[in-house]
Amino acid sequence: MPKEHAISVRAIALLLVLLAAGFAAEPRRISVYSPQALYQVDILVREGVDYVGLTDLLEPLGRLESRADGKKLKLTFNGSEADFQDGKRQYHVRSNKLELLANFLLIDGRGYIPAASISQLLPRLADQAADFHLASRRLFIGSSQLHFSAELRHAPSRLVLSFSAPVNPSSVIEKGRVRLLFRREALVGNGADNVSYSDPFLQSISFTESPAGAELIANLLQPATVSIGDGGRTVTILAVPAAAPPLAASVPPPVPSSAAPSANQPHPAQRPRPFVILDAAHGGFDTGSLLSATIQEKTVTLTLARRLQKELEARGISVVLTRAADNLLTWDQRAISANTSHAALYIALHASASGHGVRFYTSMIPSSPPGQTKRSFLPWELAQAPYLDESSSAASALAAECTSAGLPVRSSTAPLRPLNSVTAAAVAVEISPFGSDADELGTPEYQQKVAAALASGIAALRGKLGDAQ
Amino acid sequence: MISRKLQYIIATLVLAILAMGFYLVHLKRKAESIGAPPVAEALTPPFSGPAQQLTLYVASDEDDSLRPSVISSALPSDPGERGRLALHTLIARYLQKDSPHPLGAGSDLHDVYLLDPASAVVNLNAAFSQAHRSGIEVEQLSIFSLVLTLKAQLPQLTRVRFLIDGKPRDTLAGHLDLSGWFDVAMVIEACKGLR
Repeated sequence: MPKEHAISVRAIALLLVLLAAGFAAEPRRISVYSPQALYQVDILVREGVDYVGLTDLLEPLGRLESRADGKKLKLTFNGSEADFQDGKRQYHVRSNKLELLANFLLIDGRGYIPAASISQLLPRLADQAADFHLASRRLFIGSSQLHFSAELRHAPSRLVLSFSAPVNPSSVIEKGRVRLLFRREALVGNGADNVSYSDPFLQSISFTESPAGAELIANLLQPATVSIGDGGRTVTILAVPAAAPPLAASVPPPVPSSAAPSANQPHPAQRPRPFVILDAAHGGFDTGSLLSATIQEKTVTLTLARRLQKELEARGISVVLTRAADNLLTWDQRAISANTSHAALYIALHASASGHGVRFYTSMIPSSPPGQTKRSFLPWELAQAPYLDESSSAASALAAECTSAGLPVRSSTAPLRPLNSVTAAAVAVEISPFGSDADELGTPEYQQKVAAALASGIAALRGKLGDAQ
Repeated sequence: MISRKLQYIIATLVLAILAMGFYLVHLKRKAESIGAPPVAEALTPPFSGPAQQLTLYVASDEDDSLRPSVISSALPSDPGERGRLALHTLIARYLQKDSPHPLGAGSDLHDVYLLDPASAVVNLNAAFSQAHRSGIEVEQLSIFSLVLTLKAQLPQLTRVRFLIDGKPRDTLAGHLDLSGWFDVAMVIEACKGLR
């Protein structure tokens, strides 16, 4: 091939590569957990070897200066000096001669070392321990690692996970298991990645890690809820009382509409009955709808629930929340929480960017046939039937207060879970912005206005709803 | 030394590549700005026969309403086909650019099955659910408008079940319960709360 042709082919190939780069897939990255920062470093692949840029790796950790001179790179990190040479494995740190696992690369004045050599370089250059998990591409620097221990306790059955520092995992409750996902925490295994139990509640615990983070999975034989306590240092996976439908059952069994508390629960006489139970919809991985570019429904429902709780408590009304943190509950767990709390009123909180004002929904199921009472046995999905009139009255009272507060209001029935299975007056509330800006849903002023109106409506229901069941 | 001729060729190729790149970006932006793809077929596919009234219950997000809209069209005699045509026409209306209740791109209806004159199963495609906006109100408007539109064509209808790609689904888009049958009378009653 003539020299001119070869040059032109290379030029065209380079252009095509540059154009293709715009459509290329996201690069692979290493997640770095350090006491100073949590960050990611792009991986550069050369001849099958994963490389990382020294600047990308070291800059967030301290003061870095580097100078390229021909094929050599000299860098100073927090006063410690190191010398590298392009195409050579040997390098010097503080006058010590060391060897990389593959050749050093110098590209456009930037130095790259093999990812597998990070654990060798960092302790010598930065005086910090470095533990690189090659398979999951997670790098732990210094004392950033976070450890956990698991303890199975009884009466009631629960798995208590204790952490060496506060955590805030996303929890996913699935059929037969609970998954805890740690995306930002430097959680590492405790040596036993799979532990089996011979217990009617807990079958096993497993720990896995990936570039996306760490995951703890508890395989369960009973339904469970997840709660975070002790300032985030403890996560408790608690077995749902025996009255709950088993996880394996596709359809929950019929329950008496006034279910007796289970043996594991305190007797109602021993604890105060709340007047109202607030259920912030969604949570954990179930974000609900995306209300704006930055606001998720699960966040709005939780903050609104907390505001409403304060408003109610200020009016002397006892209230409990189904969830007080960003964790996911199944519909059945929400209904079980409502029913076992024996509250007189259940309110599910939702939010939507569509429409205006506040909308109220009651269950769309047939009314109870004549002769059926609150003490009759009913199918799980029709347990709400004897309470439809009370639910309708509650929705009307809430709507009246919101109208008085100048909020646009609409009431309807809709097939919504878990309303059908709640054995109390039950209303789902969906708030929408007053105007056309969905960001309004996240503002304290608007939430407070709605919370105050709802609290007034609930206060007006005292003495009107039947006794807590 | 590169000949003058070769320089022209390289320059032309470079310009062509850059032009193609810009055109590709232009096409991508254009596709994004369009949003929902245009409805490929006319609102009502052609059927021979005399024109009849086809009532669609059209949802509007602006005022949370469901309003009847009557169009004239030749309709098939088979009840299932007539129901399918009505729902397909309604979904096509929602996919238009000026839709009062936009559905996600690619939303469509697979089929309507009549188990008996009173029971219909509506099989929607996956995009209908996956691309649907999430919220009680918007999901309720979609499903209720389908139920009422179907009822308008099938007066004996008393219950409707919805499937997504032939399979039961817990909710339409995270809120409205799709796991059971919709009682048409209860839907009509619930719609009284709509404007």
